[in-house]
Amino acid sequence: MSFYECLKSFPEGSDSPSRLALVAKRLGWQGIIICNEDPRRIFRIDAAEKVKDISISVGAEVTAPNARALRSRVFSLRARYPFITVRGETEELIRAACEDANVDLLLLGQAWRPLGIAQARAAEQNQIAIGFDLSPLIRLRGSSRSRWMEVAKRNLELARKFDLSMAITSRARSHLDMRSPRALVALAEVVGFEHSEAEEALKLPARLVALNRRNWIGPGVELL
Amino acid sequence: MRSRLPVLRATRRYVAFMVEAEGEFEAKDLIHEIRSSQTSLFGDAGAARNRLKLISFQGGFGLLRCHGDHVQETRAALAAVYSIDGFRASCHVKGVSGTIKSATEKYLPKLRKISSENDGRRIELEEISGCIVHTHGLEIDLCPDDRDWTKGSDTRYLGLTSFDLCGGHDDADGTSDGL
Repeated sequence: MSFYECLKSFPEGSDSPSRLALVAKRLGWQGIIICNEDPRRIFRIDAAEKVKDISISVGAEVTAPNARALRSRVFSLRARYPFITVRGETEELIRAACEDANVDLLLLGQAWRPLGIAQARAAEQNQIAIGFDLSPLIRLRGSSRSRWMEVAKRNLELARKFDLSMAITSRARSHLDMRSPRALVALAEVVGFEHSEAEEALKLPARLVALNRRNWIGPGVELL
Repeated sequence: MRSRLPVLRATRRYVAFMVEAEGEFEAKDLIHEIRSSQTSLFGDAGAARNRLKLISFQGGFGLLRCHGDHVQETRAALAAVYSIDGFRASCHVKGVSGTIKSATEKYLPKLRKISSENDGRRIELEEISGCIVHTHGLEIDLCPDDRDWTKGSDTRYLGLTSFDLCGGHDDADGTSDGL
């Protein structure tokens, strides 16, 4: 199983998918998942396929003003994209994402409050993975970073307690935000991850994409 | 400081790394940023346990000496570098070795120049337009006409490749909407 990274490309980031793919290949990633909020407007995604020896997938990152809008947006995107992430900004959105089985990954990078027990239980029941966005660890300094690390540590303890799947990402918006898998493991260890735990977390997006790409022609019947 | 007995000396590791940045900077700015990142992440006590020393830095490649038991901390400190001398930058570890010689031979094979060479060429596509700032192999950094295009990512330039241009390759000069 291979390491995949979730990224944002132009127009939401500042790099084209092919540039991200080239840099990701150089850094040792086996694949990238482009998770823009509007995946239809990604700049020249076809050019990225010319980069050899790296897998490129298109996912979607969902943000919505309220829980109802989030559910309908996730439902509409589910059939089209193999990887759906939700950026949990408010408690209402985190709760709605944890209760929606169509969500693959709940990103908690910007959340300044730790995950609640009810939300963690709902995530466990609906098999939703918890994503740790490590970009604040790189971008922030001082007290704001220590506050973020405290919240991330609490989330990690909760994820261990409820046996939730975990993913690690740098959620890069440009090639300068990208880090190698080993660098992300080192940063995750600073937050409190075990080495093996961090490596498993880097493999999770690839596993989810492979699972969601399976072609089911009927209940319990897979087209191989 | 008096030299210690060989058996009491700490093991050292040499970390070869590469820096990607949007502008030019000096080696002292780099080590200042790495030390600041290390102190910010691990505190003064952590920095004292793992004294970093920049052995060399040339052409975007550098060699850093660290304590043998704290290589992972060094990786984290390098990964947490966000900007150097005001320019957005990132440090990537190329490899770790036990001697300067082997680190240089294995991981620092060629020199690369980080420079802002504005060759005056423009790219004008449907979605984006701007002047080329750097080219390195297939990679192209573009200074966009509209600053809002890079607003969310906190960078100055747009990162493209020659695959994004209709010419499809590095030498795409003269194509209708390529370089």
